[in-house]
Amino acid sequence: MKNPAIEFSNVSLNYNQSDNLVEVLKNISFSIKADEIVSIVGPSGSGKTSIIMLTAGLEKISDGTIGIHNRVINHLNENELASIRRQHIGIVFQSFYLIPGLSALENVLLALEANHKYGLEDQAKNLLEEFGLSHRLHHLPGELSGGEQQRVAIARALINKPSIILADEPTGNIDEMNSENVIKLLFDYSKKNKTSLVLVTHNHEIANQCDRIIELKGGRIVLS
Amino acid sequence: MSYLREFYFIHQYAVRDIKRSFKSLWIIFITLFISLFLLSSIFTIKTSLNYEIEINSKELLGGDLEISSGINPLSEEIIKKISESGQLSQTVKFHTMVSREDKGSIFTDIRAIDKFYPLYGSIQTNPKESSQTLFLGSSNPGILINENIQNQFELEVGDNVTILNKKFTVQGIILSVPNLDGAMIFGEFAIISKNEFEKFNLTSAGSFLDYDYRLKMNDNENTQSQIQKIKSFINNDKTIKIRTPKDGSQNLRRAINNFSHFLSLVSVSAMLIAGIGISNTFLSFINKKSLSIAIQKSLGFFSRTIKLIYFYEILLILFITSILSYLLGLLSPIIANIFIPASFNIDLQFTLSFLDYFNLLFIGLLVVLIFSIPTLYSINLIKATSLFRNVFQQINLFFSFSNILLIIILSVLLIVYFIFQTDEKIYTFFYFISFFASILVFFITSFFLIFIFRNFFNYPSNSFKIAKRNIAAKKSLAPIITISLGIGLTLLLTLSFVANNLKREIAESIPNIAPDIFFVSVNKDDKERLALFITTLDQNAIVEFQPVISASFVSLNSIPIDTIIQPNNNSAWVIEGDRRISWYNNPQTTANPITKGEWWTKNDSDKLFISIDSKIASDFRIKINDQITLNILGREIVGTVKNFRKVDYRDLSINFAIIINDSFADELPYEYIGTLSSNLSINEIQSKILKQFPNISIIKIGNILSKVTILLNKILIAIISISLVVVGIGLIVIISAILVQTNLRTYQNLIYKILGINFSTLVKAVCLEFLFIYLSILFFAIVIAALGSYYIVENIFRLEWIFDLDLTLTLTMVTGIITFILILITNKNTFDPPIYPLIRNE
Repeated sequence: MKNPAIEFSNVSLNYNQSDNLVEVLKNISFSIKADEIVSIVGPSGSGKTSIIMLTAGLEKISDGTIGIHNRVINHLNENELASIRRQHIGIVFQSFYLIPGLSALENVLLALEANHKYGLEDQAKNLLEEFGLSHRLHHLPGELSGGEQQRVAIARALINKPSIILADEPTGNIDEMNSENVIKLLFDYSKKNKTSLVLVTHNHEIANQCDRIIELKGGRIVLS
Repeated sequence: MSYLREFYFIHQYAVRDIKRSFKSLWIIFITLFISLFLLSSIFTIKTSLNYEIEINSKELLGGDLEISSGINPLSEEIIKKISESGQLSQTVKFHTMVSREDKGSIFTDIRAIDKFYPLYGSIQTNPKESSQTLFLGSSNPGILINENIQNQFELEVGDNVTILNKKFTVQGIILSVPNLDGAMIFGEFAIISKNEFEKFNLTSAGSFLDYDYRLKMNDNENTQSQIQKIKSFINNDKTIKIRTPKDGSQNLRRAINNFSHFLSLVSVSAMLIAGIGISNTFLSFINKKSLSIAIQKSLGFFSRTIKLIYFYEILLILFITSILSYLLGLLSPIIANIFIPASFNIDLQFTLSFLDYFNLLFIGLLVVLIFSIPTLYSINLIKATSLFRNVFQQINLFFSFSNILLIIILSVLLIVYFIFQTDEKIYTFFYFISFFASILVFFITSFFLIFIFRNFFNYPSNSFKIAKRNIAAKKSLAPIITISLGIGLTLLLTLSFVANNLKREIAESIPNIAPDIFFVSVNKDDKERLALFITTLDQNAIVEFQPVISASFVSLNSIPIDTIIQPNNNSAWVIEGDRRISWYNNPQTTANPITKGEWWTKNDSDKLFISIDSKIASDFRIKINDQITLNILGREIVGTVKNFRKVDYRDLSINFAIIINDSFADELPYEYIGTLSSNLSINEIQSKILKQFPNISIIKIGNILSKVTILLNKILIAIISISLVVVGIGLIVIISAILVQTNLRTYQNLIYKILGINFSTLVKAVCLEFLFIYLSILFFAIVIAALGSYYIVENIFRLEWIFDLDLTLTLTMVTGIITFILILITNKNTFDPPIYPLIRNE
């Protein structure tokens, strides 16, 4: 595949746990195009979240190579990985993980500030307004509903216009109606900006809406 | 530019975080503020005192120049030459008995002044201007007395007193004199006119006669060149001493510097204990922020940036508290004025000093850095991957080789910074070594305690099991309580033991062995008659007389002594002015034991042999057979050092720093000093002796001891108050540690409650937990305090050290009870928490 956004080549991930070797991922290979929406499915412990963490540069592989926009990231140091994360990757978590002491607007601005972009309040406001949160800009996470929190988290993930979005069970903690809204937001953004979207989900309906499904079982890809 | 933007972001984030997290950070504010305030007050008072001395240095000296000619006045020729440079004022200081009918007599320091005195400042009296009446001339000459004499004799203005058979009428009470005088403040002090003094015709050295001349230079004179000119008139006469305003205040400045330095050390100790609290609170704060930090890392923030944010928060807190504490500390001289007696003639002013502020900030910065580095580095342990696992582990202080090295460097910098600010470098160094060693001892004690409870000690009681579990838990309070309370208690005990031993020596031991009366000077002809007379008053009285003559230390091996010995030498007192020296017929049997050298034989009568106090010999680096030149009655005589003696001045009996051979001394004109111990009423004996021998001067030792005790009490109260602040900070640190654990304790106690454990069991568990921890502290605190105070009392004060069990029990029990009550109050909400928040997962 030419110029994939994400490329895993013979990637293995092992942990040593109490003198036992735990093989989380076993020699997996796949690639994801720049504007592709891919869902990763599989039972608990199959290695889905590990793929997200490896792509985000938050975990080190045991073997193989990972490329982000044709750049191998295996051997990069922490600062270089952080730099890639800031500029190219947006992460959405199941539990939202907004900073409790910052308002909705401030949480979104934080992502810009991490990227050394300052004084862009209008940009953040516009994005939150786009997500229907114009009346919640200065509210703390504790004052927002689950759906609102997740929308703020998505705005934070997208504000830097990443080329890759990683969403780990983004609808896991919200109701059905809000789940639909969240998925719609992610899909719309991805298609509009030709962004790769990697979605870890247990929800087959959501998975079926994606361009491709990668199914994992026991650390191996059984369907791609 | 980008660094500026990054800095602005860090600043903004930090300020916002402090505002929103103030509830978690208030302990850091409080402990830093208290310890910085203490240090700031000490610095400010010291600066004000030194400033006051500086601007009033001429007033303190009494002139632009002071010339002391000792027992003999300056010649008219010299006086005439000096007077060409400005206004000269002459005073004569002497000591004699002042009596009041039916009230007895007191040995008094009298200053005879001329009409030009004082050249700078004024004599404050009650009634005002009564010093002018001394020169009015009347049948009964006038005298001004200080409050001590007034109180002892119950005198009012207009009453009469007698000096050397001459009546003087009290004209006024002296409130303060310009040139600070110890006798004025602490002893018996009076002023008469010089004309009246001259009528006494006093020449006796026993009266400690001292002629002083003070000069106020003409306005158009160049001070330095005039001083040089005056020095050239009197260069050859070694008995004449010249002092400038700078010299005059040197001793006082040194005393202020040493005392304030000691107080600074104690307050830095408070700050170091506060540092333990800062470290604990900061760690808890970072743990609360671990989610935020993980999110920041997932967003791509560098660890370095995150650490900078929290480091900046701590710096901001330091900056704000340092400014607040410094500004509040500026008020301390004004408060100190309330406690300084009027007789000191000191009025401290509000003195702003940027140097003091930066000194304070620098010390605060070092302490904050030392105690926040392990917590800042622990931020490295927070991983963004925790967000995916939804598991946040409590992080602990992070020690790596590089940050341990950094902590050591900063600690050494702090110690060195203090050492170089004081003359007492060795003592400061040992103080810090003892302090850090004590921290280590208590740190190890806490680990030992935890180890013992983890691996041993089982007892079939729920309270015991809960207490044991709490002590042995990973987040046990034992280390924090042990270190902070241990250090505070050790400091309090050490200072209390020292104070107690000093007081005991002065109030009990010394009076038991000291004589009751000291005869300052007894004429050669009166000595036998006096001894006989005392025997008629009390057959059992113990009387001792020693011949004495005045001499001054001129040179050592032909080198002028004041060029070798600095004013800060511990034995510098020996070379200041005249000393009384003596001799014995059989020194081997009657004088102090020799530590080196030999006694002389009777045959060598032409030569002068000298025996000297071994401590002085050591301080002056004198060796056996060295040549010392003494000025004896105006003649310079060279003598050979034959031995060193161990002299114990403690018992206030007759002791001499310098003894000479009797065969040399026999031909010299001498007088006697003596002591008397009697079981009869001392006042009665004194009054009978003075009636019979009116020219004899007597000091009642009991009077001196009670004055010293009063002064000592005041100083010791100040020192112990400061150490109580250290304990107070330790208690705040403990409270902060408990507050940090409130949620954990509440949750834990809730589970116990659900399982059926009752309220009283939980309270008993807290009691047991505290008891075990406190007992482990007690032993080491008492041992370290005993060792430290022993060293100070025996080696520095050279007194006998005795362990006081009552004092130890009182202090430890009171400290323990207060700490325990505070712990109970702080924990009260955790004992009986409501169940439903747990069920609702709140």
